Amino acid sequence: MRALVLALAAVAAAPAAAGDLAVQVRTANGAGVPNAVVTLYPRGRPAALPAARPAYQIAQRDLQFSPFVLVVPVGGEVSFPNFDDVRHHVYSFSPVRRFELRLYAREQTRSVRFDRPGIVPLGCNIHDNMIAFIDVVDTGFAARTDAAGRANFTAIPGGPVLVRVWHPWLRAPANQLELRAEVPDNGRVAQAVPVNLRPPPRPSRSY
Amino acid sequence: MFSGVCRRRLAAAFAAASLALACSGPARAERARLDFPDNLTAVIDFRIVLTDGERSWTDGGFGRSRFGGGGDDVRVHAVPAEAELVWHGPIAWNVEGNVAVAYQDEQDQPVDLIEAFATWRPVPRGPTRFSVRAGLYWPQVSLEHEGPAWQVANMITPSAINSWIGEEVKVVGVEGSAAHPLAGGRLTGTLGLFGFNDTSGTLLAFRGWALHDQKTGAFSRQKLPPLGPDMAGAQPPWTTPTLEVDRRIGFYGRLAYQFVAPVSLEAFYYDNRGDPAAFTDDLQWGWRTRFLNLGARIDFSARTRLLAQAMTGSTQMGREEDEPDEIWVDTRFRSAFLRLTHEIGEVALSGRVDLFETRQRGEYVYAEDGEDGWSLTGAVDWRLTDQARIIVEGMHVESDRAARSRLGIAPRQNQDLVQASMRITL
Repeated sequence: MRALVLALAAVAAAPAAAGDLAVQVRTANGAGVPNAVVTLYPRGRPAALPAARPAYQIAQRDLQFSPFVLVVPVGGEVSFPNFDDVRHHVYSFSPVRRFELRLYAREQTRSVRFDRPGIVPLGCNIHDNMIAFIDVVDTGFAARTDAAGRANFTAIPGGPVLVRVWHPWLRAPANQLELRAEVPDNGRVAQAVPVNLRPPPRPSRSY
Repeated sequence: MFSGVCRRRLAAAFAAASLALACSGPARAERARLDFPDNLTAVIDFRIVLTDGERSWTDGGFGRSRFGGGGDDVRVHAVPAEAELVWHGPIAWNVEGNVAVAYQDEQDQPVDLIEAFATWRPVPRGPTRFSVRAGLYWPQVSLEHEGPAWQVANMITPSAINSWIGEEVKVVGVEGSAAHPLAGGRLTGTLGLFGFNDTSGTLLAFRGWALHDQKTGAFSRQKLPPLGPDMAGAQPPWTTPTLEVDRRIGFYGRLAYQFVAPVSLEAFYYDNRGDPAAFTDDLQWGWRTRFLNLGARIDFSARTRLLAQAMTGSTQMGREEDEPDEIWVDTRFRSAFLRLTHEIGEVALSGRVDLFETRQRGEYVYAEDGEDGWSLTGAVDWRLTDQARIIVEGMHVESDRAARSRLGIAPRQNQDLVQASMRITL
């Protein structure tokens, strides 16, 4: 994820006056929240997307999707390799991108392109408990929080920045909240984002 | 003192158990699983049972368990209780199949088909998930059974309710389900239509509730206890649970809600719409059986859970056309259980209390065949490897039934059983 942040940040042309922003998403009792997606909109507008398109991937391994949350810029292509000994039937019914992939055991060749921004929940039609999310973003400043709930951004144009935080279990409309931060022309500023999470859905018992 | 047959079975059971364990030790566990075809599961259950009390209904008595004692003497049974082979795998991309064949030592058809069904799950087009299941299967009533081999989790003996489901509530049918996210949880509705379950209720009416882990095969008969004098000519001393008698279609419905919190509640209603006046050449009758089952599961933590079910229902059999108001057998039945399971490392401890009763209101089966009873069951389930586990279970059953006087024994009987099961899953 750090690689993605650096790649995106490097592409966003750094103006003369630019600062760094360290975001930490955490619960009311201070625990860092991993797998939240933080996107920044300097002066309320999306930053340019990176020209280079790294290989994005959601693997199926040990009957789980990995990673659980993936950040992809609009136009990005994601491959879905199956490393399991069983077949998977990956699907999304999201209006952002509807698709289904029939992946035989240890098949590694299918990929999907995402042309519209938004959240794409993924499921496996064979294994109900497999879930993952792709956040297709329209701004160059986008990152997934690490295990400590941190996402660090560099070279952001100084001034007001709209910060959006999304997490699949976030207790907020559309699982997303927005706040405003002020990025200095020089130096680093920290922004804590307190959130309230719902309990994740329980695994279903199916026959 | 073991009998000769008993000793041979004991020796054979342990020889096979030792062999299976040797093959499934930690070093070979992974290989054994990979060597076995992916879509096949084999379950082998060796059992040693110590019991006192009266003779089992499977042996011409009124005992509530499948294993009977010799009055005050303790009896030892050593049996390869069950061997089951299950195929579960894809038929098409959206269709999964499940076929189970079992060997059960004491059934009249020792090798029999247990379940054979296919489930179609189309890829969801929206948040609602649909599925259709068709074939020979147990409708989803039991909270205790799990997996493709429909085994009781962490215990040997299911509750009275689910023992009965296992023997008399298996259908040839088709059901449609829809699951929809609601208020952070998930609401699931199921509607099923079925046949081949017209004799459902026979065991509850003539025998009453029982506690055992036998599963009825598609072509098997189940024994009945000694029948009263007025029924002996109308009903042979056995019942065929998977049978179509009256060509009427039955139905069931299920509504379940999984809360955001680790609590789920469900209700299940069943009506086989049996015709009490219909019967076959070998006197298997249509039984009008209806019941409501309520279930709850609470997961206090990942290691501690509470299961509860309560059932109430009725079954009616035998009516002559010129006397439509006279029902030969009219049985009301009720039962409930509460079960707590707590895991410590590889060991799961379970305790369950069951209450059960039947009431008779028919013309030819009298109040003396009604019964009140309860049982207390405790089990220790020790997982040795992914393939092998040992479950030791103690059960106390008590019940009161006046009809026991037909065998010259006291109406109130109790039985204590200790069972040790070695369960190998490949």
